[in-house]
Amino acid sequence: MRLKHLLSLLILSLLLIGCGGKAESDLTRVNLPMGYVANVQFSPFYLAAERGYFTEAGFDVNFDYRWETDGISLLAADTIPFAIASGDQVIQARSQGLPVVAVAAWYQRFPVAIVSLETLPLDSPTDLAGLRIGIPETFGASYIGLRALLTEAGLTEADIDLRVIGYTQLAALTSGSVDAVVVYTNNAPAILEQEGIAYNILYVADYANMVSAVLVTSDMQIERDPEQVRAFVGAFLHGLADVLADPDAAFEISHRYIEGLAENAAAQRAVLEASIALWEAPEPGRLNADLWAEAQQVMFEAGLIQQTVPVETLFTNDFLP
Amino acid sequence: MSEQHHHHTGTGRRWHALPIYLLTLLLVLLLWELGVQFVADTPRRFLFPTPQAVIARAGQLLRDGTLLRHTRVTLLEMGLGLLLGTSTALLLGYTVAHSEFLAHLLQPVIVTSQAVPIVALAPLLTVWFGPGLISKIFVCALIVFFPILVNIVAGLTTIDPRLHDLFRLLEASRRQELFHLEIPAALPAFLTGLRVGGTLAGMGAVVGEFVASSEGLGYLVKQGQNLYDLPLMFVAILTLTFITLTVYGLLGLVERTVLAWRQRDDTASQT
Repeated sequence: MRLKHLLSLLILSLLLIGCGGKAESDLTRVNLPMGYVANVQFSPFYLAAERGYFTEAGFDVNFDYRWETDGISLLAADTIPFAIASGDQVIQARSQGLPVVAVAAWYQRFPVAIVSLETLPLDSPTDLAGLRIGIPETFGASYIGLRALLTEAGLTEADIDLRVIGYTQLAALTSGSVDAVVVYTNNAPAILEQEGIAYNILYVADYANMVSAVLVTSDMQIERDPEQVRAFVGAFLHGLADVLADPDAAFEISHRYIEGLAENAAAQRAVLEASIALWEAPEPGRLNADLWAEAQQVMFEAGLIQQTVPVETLFTNDFLP
Repeated sequence: MSEQHHHHTGTGRRWHALPIYLLTLLLVLLLWELGVQFVADTPRRFLFPTPQAVIARAGQLLRDGTLLRHTRVTLLEMGLGLLLGTSTALLLGYTVAHSEFLAHLLQPVIVTSQAVPIVALAPLLTVWFGPGLISKIFVCALIVFFPILVNIVAGLTTIDPRLHDLFRLLEASRRQELFHLEIPAALPAFLTGLRVGGTLAGMGAVVGEFVASSEGLGYLVKQGQNLYDLPLMFVAILTLTFITLTVYGLLGLVERTVLAWRQRDDTASQT
């Protein structure tokens, strides 16, 4: 008799689980390439997930911390619907014929800067002449940012001693193996301050603001299901707006997604504050044609792309709420 | 006689293998082309370049000297890394094989050095030794060192103790024992280790170049990936594969030649 009861309970539970699962299965599973490791910079996405904005929009999002180039390739191959990438990657991909397109701006201010130690003044781009400058790679936002500053100063790469140092900028700077390094403004200055190291900084955006991190989709996805694109953009922007309105809550929620955040809370909180300053805009999400044009021109002059494409093919504001 | 017969058969087998290698290569190219044709009308074509595109890119990179320049850099890193790794392995191997005390002292350090994943260590080496040639040589040396060391120690410690006794009985000097007993005895194992190490040297150079570089084949792979230039990536990867196969083949040839010469020498001294 007891066994019968147990069996009935088991069947009932399975049925209930089955019913619950049905609602879940209505959601579109999205693997979202983030382009970097789990970080407070992704708090708009964490918040959108945690507060159910993605679920309301019909998505079950999995954060995939792979390289942004892989994300763009998978988008072009139509195996995923969305990715986060910097605008230069969209330009690079589009110039190679990959059908990807930016649908929402995330960073509104180009987040790259040149940093030197206190003893070496950096007041304007012309100060870069003759310096040993360390850079992570000879592509991507760091390189484009440096090229834009050099152009601004009427300099070329031949006027500096450019050294590719990987992501070891602060070690290279403090050890004196280079005079200045190219960094992300929301990360390196916060760490330097934390370490009590005085520095000088030259922001690329003060001289040439270019397109930065964006939400990207593919031409195929837009053609197949434009409403889905609109819904995803809406959920992301809702998360972004919430972070801008309540950074404390964003930081709190980020703990659930980032291992070791509590142990580095002070520095990471500074990273979040610095990032928020780069996200704020009168119209969050809106992509600006001038920034795309400038970035594309810098990349073309740097030889990173062999041909330019019409700026309107790089992005669209059609899916903003 | 039986040894010579075996050797002859081995060489013959190698010659017969050549057309089979070429056939395999042709088959791979055919499958590649078929695969690309299969996805030609789908967006997946963005993930696979055609063989023609790769061949055309290789031609262009050869003509403008780019491929040669980057290949030279990687070969230099591989060569110096192999040299450093091999000489360290020889020195430590000899020490470990001869002193029980030093063997106990060094073994944990040596084993730990291999337990550390080199890929994870490479960024640190870049910080310590700078992003230039030195850090790449160290990554290379760390990767090639262990298989060579293990083989040297095995070669030296498996010498029949009676032979050592014989040398002592004949009042042979330390030097004579080294040159007439130990080196010839450990040579086969050392050369096998060198062949494995040489093959790993390419991987070491690429790992170093992946962390920070502005030249080399690993740099070309990374550059191709970031510029969505798949043919460039493929050319660099195929060149690296070719280099590794060549190094493996050459060191194998050295191994066979030296061992055949040693055998002839042995036979001559016996008669």
